[in-house]
Amino acid sequence: MRTRNSGKEQLVKQKAIELLVRDGFEGFSMNKLARACDISVATLYIYYKDKDDLIIRIALEEAERMTQIVLKDFNPEMDFEEGLRLQWKNRSDYMLKNPGTSALFEQLRFSTFSEPVFKQVKANFGNAMGKFMKNAVSRGEINAMPMEVYWSVAFAPLYNLIRFHQEGKNMAGKPFVLTRKLIWQTFDLTIKGIKK
Amino acid sequence: MTTDLNHILIFKTNIRTKTQKRKLLGMLSTHSGIQQCSVDLSDIDRVLRIVSACLTHQQIISILQQQGFDCAELV
Repeated sequence: MRTRNSGKEQLVKQKAIELLVRDGFEGFSMNKLARACDISVATLYIYYKDKDDLIIRIALEEAERMTQIVLKDFNPEMDFEEGLRLQWKNRSDYMLKNPGTSALFEQLRFSTFSEPVFKQVKANFGNAMGKFMKNAVSRGEINAMPMEVYWSVAFAPLYNLIRFHQEGKNMAGKPFVLTRKLIWQTFDLTIKGIKK
Repeated sequence: MTTDLNHILIFKTNIRTKTQKRKLLGMLSTHSGIQQCSVDLSDIDRVLRIVSACLTHQQIISILQQQGFDCAELV
């Protein structure tokens, strides 16, 4: 009699993300994953139909988990500075605690799996983030601007700091470790640049 | 609805091509005892996965052999 083993399912997810980031989608196989988890290949196929099914389902579950963390305590009606500060906190918490998943999402962006996964991410985030920006414009906190310009000013500085941190070096190749102090120093400059 | 894990049957096969896979799955999906079937050609074991509440491993193996494929339960 087979029963679900959530501990085993969690291990499979964690190892799958590690292997996908290390070996890429082409180098990843169900056999390698089974070996890494010390389970039989047959057990993996009990839970997942095939390699593509496994990648998509793990990515969708992670996208859902990421959304919950990033939108925690957030409300599109918030004051602009307070809301953006919370976004920076939630996003940096998620990315710094889940470096493997962040790397996986980067890989997914340029893969055949990007459509189903990012459709879900867009559906989860689009509404809240779009409303938040529109509210800030209508309250006169920021000027109207294309979404891409808004994102590049409001979020890209944080993502860049995290990229330096995850690579362990800055743009000149010098060792770099991100601290909370640096995050909030960058945030203050971002707010100065974007707020009216 | 979640699938009863005891209804999932896993096999190692020698299905090689997309055409073989398509034809076989077309045939299996018309079988009244099979709820779902898929083949993973990306895996070295060319894994066939069947969801069936009533068929046994041996019955599936016989069906595959009749179609000219090698098939063994993957454990």
